[in-house]
Amino acid sequence: MNHPIILSLVGVWLFLSGTARAANDRAMTVKTTVDGMVCSFCAQGIVAHFKKHPAVSNVHVDLTRKVVLLEEKKGASISDKEITEFIKKSGFEPKKVERLPDSFEKVKADKKS
Amino acid sequence: MLGGTDTVQNFELYNSYTPKTAFGVHAMRFEDERDDDYYTGVQHNWLLHRWNLPEAQGNLYFGLGAGAAKEDGQSAAPAGLGFFRADYETRRIYTAFESKFVGSEDVSRAVTSLSFGVAPYKAEFEELNTWLIVQLEHVSGMEDDLDIIPKIRLFKGPYFLELGCSLDGDPLVNFMIHF
Repeated sequence: MNHPIILSLVGVWLFLSGTARAANDRAMTVKTTVDGMVCSFCAQGIVAHFKKHPAVSNVHVDLTRKVVLLEEKKGASISDKEITEFIKKSGFEPKKVERLPDSFEKVKADKKS
Repeated sequence: MLGGTDTVQNFELYNSYTPKTAFGVHAMRFEDERDDDYYTGVQHNWLLHRWNLPEAQGNLYFGLGAGAAKEDGQSAAPAGLGFFRADYETRRIYTAFESKFVGSEDVSRAVTSLSFGVAPYKAEFEELNTWLIVQLEHVSGMEDDLDIIPKIRLFKGPYFLELGCSLDGDPLVNFMIHF
């Protein structure tokens, strides 16, 4: 009589753990909105730094949207604090960090976001 | 940075060891039909303040240098340099005021410039950035002490190039690279 309940619980556990694993394996896109970033020559250091970061696989600066996009490597993560501290160190003002489930290329191409 | 006009030539090499400080070397040559003065020294620059706005950035810089200067045919004497710069830019408008003073027992030069520029298009990060700029430059003690210099500024990636020509026909070239 308890078998259906146990089986259901096992099924739910398998589903949730699979979803969590899939989320961990997916490359996250981190979008940071930055004030003062009006000149590409001055923002070169941001790209050079994050390209070398072991948790980052891709970097893009969009001057129109005033954002720095980072693609995290699968299973790796870069903290919000590390991102904002380096952007401040580069001379700009980070305003907001968002972690998006969409792919890096999709966020990069979406000029409205 | 390497460059200058026919009458004032500049070589500057700095290491930004914090976001607000840079240390390096600065060499200048002031040359016209009467004079040929040199200055070489070490220099420390400070970013006094930066305004990071959503669509613009403004900066105030200050620098001090110490080295040696010499007049043509004279021996070198201890010299100092003072530098101040204020700039404001958006992605379409650029303005800057800069003043440098070099002084020694024999040499006394002040270079003051005012620049206004416009970008004909808003370039994205990976694209070639183009600026059309007019620079008014006053150099104390030179024969033609006020120059009006239209110039084009181009930069892409870590490379920066300015090409111009004063209304008197003196060329201007500036080149800069981010290491």
